Amino acid sequence: MIKKKYPKAVNKVSWASCLLKPGRHYLQGNEACIEGALVAGCRVYAGYPITPATEAMEAASRRFPEVGGRFIQMEDEIGSACVLIGASWGGAKALTVTSSPGFSLMQEAISIAIISETPMVIIDIQRPGPGQGYITASQEDVMQARWGHHGEGPIIALAPSSVQEMFEVTIEAFNLSERWRTPVLVMAEETVAHMRESVVIPPLEAIEIINRKKPQDLGISPEAYCPWGHAVVAPMANWGEGYNVNFVGLVHLEDGNVTRYSPEMNRHCIERLQKKIEVDANSTGCLETKFLEDCSHLMVCYGVVSRTAMEAVAEARESRGLKIGYIRLRRLWPFPEKQLRDIVCDVDTVFVPEMNLGMMKHPITEALRDRCRRIVSIPSIGVLHSPDYILSEVYKDI
Amino acid sequence: MLKYLKAEGLMGSRLPTILCPGCGGGQVLNYTLQAVDRLIAKDDIRKEDFLFISGVGCSSRITSHYLNFDSAWTIHGRALAVATGALLANPAFRVIVFTGDGDLAAIGGNHFIHACRRNINVTILCMNNGLYGMTGGQLAPTTEKGVVTTTTPYGNPEKSFDLCKLSETAGAPYVARWTTAHPRQIVRSVMKGIRKKGTAFIEVLSQCPVHKKMSPVAMLKMLKENTIPIGNQSQSGEGKIPVGEFLDIEMPEWNDSYENIVKAARKEDCGLHE
Amino acid sequence: MNRLWIDERYCKGCLICVDICPEKALKASEGINAKGFILPAEADMTRCKACGLCELMCPDFAIAIGE
Repeated sequence: MIKKKYPKAVNKVSWASCLLKPGRHYLQGNEACIEGALVAGCRVYAGYPITPATEAMEAASRRFPEVGGRFIQMEDEIGSACVLIGASWGGAKALTVTSSPGFSLMQEAISIAIISETPMVIIDIQRPGPGQGYITASQEDVMQARWGHHGEGPIIALAPSSVQEMFEVTIEAFNLSERWRTPVLVMAEETVAHMRESVVIPPLEAIEIINRKKPQDLGISPEAYCPWGHAVVAPMANWGEGYNVNFVGLVHLEDGNVTRYSPEMNRHCIERLQKKIEVDANSTGCLETKFLEDCSHLMVCYGVVSRTAMEAVAEARESRGLKIGYIRLRRLWPFPEKQLRDIVCDVDTVFVPEMNLGMMKHPITEALRDRCRRIVSIPSIGVLHSPDYILSEVYKDI
Repeated sequence: MLKYLKAEGLMGSRLPTILCPGCGGGQVLNYTLQAVDRLIAKDDIRKEDFLFISGVGCSSRITSHYLNFDSAWTIHGRALAVATGALLANPAFRVIVFTGDGDLAAIGGNHFIHACRRNINVTILCMNNGLYGMTGGQLAPTTEKGVVTTTTPYGNPEKSFDLCKLSETAGAPYVARWTTAHPRQIVRSVMKGIRKKGTAFIEVLSQCPVHKKMSPVAMLKMLKENTIPIGNQSQSGEGKIPVGEFLDIEMPEWNDSYENIVKAARKEDCGLHE
Repeated sequence: MNRLWIDERYCKGCLICVDICPEKALKASEGINAKGFILPAEADMTRCKACGLCELMCPDFAIAIGE
């Protein structure tokens, strides 16, 4: 029996009084995601100050030690992302909250986390770019979330739309990362990070927490263990458990052997990851829908924009009688193409309001091109759409 | 020492290593495993607690998938950041970082100085061959001025780092330099480093026979002759590189401060509980 | 008398062991093996004192001295 020398409460979810009590709390979005992480069992935080994510980091510096966790301010975002890798393989759930320029710096670490199948959560509080851009809100990183890391490698990215969801989606992000052994991104905007809203925290017993499967639980011995084998999602032995796990970033066979390179091995390694996320993880629901029964037009949105989009939809239906339906993407990647096609039959126009010049509009177009007459982007740069602005664009050609 | 290596995996053989004949990296691996073996026997340290972490390069390759230990072959220059994360999750790990002069002092320079500053509990073995071996012999921050490499065909116009001075200034409590021609000294230094709570920096001047176009035996002779142990009065040190233990002091280790923070934080009622 | 054991799977013929031996008990063998390496061979093993230096300094864990 291996005697653990871990500090208390690291790796264990502590239901101690240090977590927020169930009930209503008034929180900033940046604070809410930290509380969600603690509930999910996250006990290691590494980060670097960057507007507009700094409040999350400061909240983490106060809260993580309170529950027996560890907080570190690293020398840069690259170091922060690497700390997440080390902490995850060391057995802990780990988090960082950054903004767009820091997110760019983390791409190499995300890349190796994908191929090594490392559970970890990165929250990107998006701000306009490129370059220093500005410090207001944007959704300009949503393509980078999927394609920013080098190499073929799928990823999961979620889009919260409220402070309540900053709490809930962070927990969901940890659950997905543990279940699918992958880094998970939470693509928030400065708006939702800086807002203060009411957050209802349910009784902790009612919240599902998922932890990574271990080879010990499946009766796999260290000699028989393949760090990337045994199942679609390989059980994960952590360092210090006697499994002699070699973490590698080269394309590899399931047992971690990197000497047997061949294009076939390379393809097998990549396709295994692709199927795990793009097929298996993509099969679970992630769309919030309303007014689809008889709609002639459609509003497809995500993140905080969906709140003003919903107001616009309600206003158009009431004042003009326009039969416009509403779909919110709770998860951006893997893109729920099949789910969208299953629920959209035949509409005239699909409107896609985004805080960029039209990014998610592209996979939406691929999915719904034959289900509609046209797809119209409603862009807003650096500021959240107002319902009036969305409506003016919707009414333009109707 | 073969018991500490994975000669065969479930899906094929892994040894011999991809290192060139006579590479100093293989020797440093041998010396380190000797030290680890003695510590497991003498100090009763569990084999499960050892964790080898490396970045990218020939030196880092010895951690790739050969070791019959927990290990991590990570991204270029970031071994110390990953080590920081592992120690945050479990301060009981005995972390050994294998790195090269480019991996540590060029792309990894920032993490290097901050790891020393924090005094995290790692033993760093920097195999310094004065160039970038894996990619074909380019300039490194430790290449001497005037030396011709594949990216300095007209001679290196830049000065080089003194990695030991850098480490000491950054705050590491144990700093030593040896060459691959000093096997028993390296074994002793590694044992000291692992026993020490804090950052132990051990620079090993190491031969790259292929890019220096010399035989391994000739290079080992050259390393021995061009260095002089500090405190050696019998020969003139003119033009020779000093080797030895430059610094060996006790300093508070980084994780202890974090333990104290957690102890203090848990006592307070921060007012967010109601 | 001690004997030399060379693991031909791993030896890369760097001959550091031959040079480093304080007693000059080893030598380079005559030909090359199938991989093209010149392996170390016994020169005069009566001189070998089993100091362990060759085992310690081998970059490839390919040499052992034993009974």
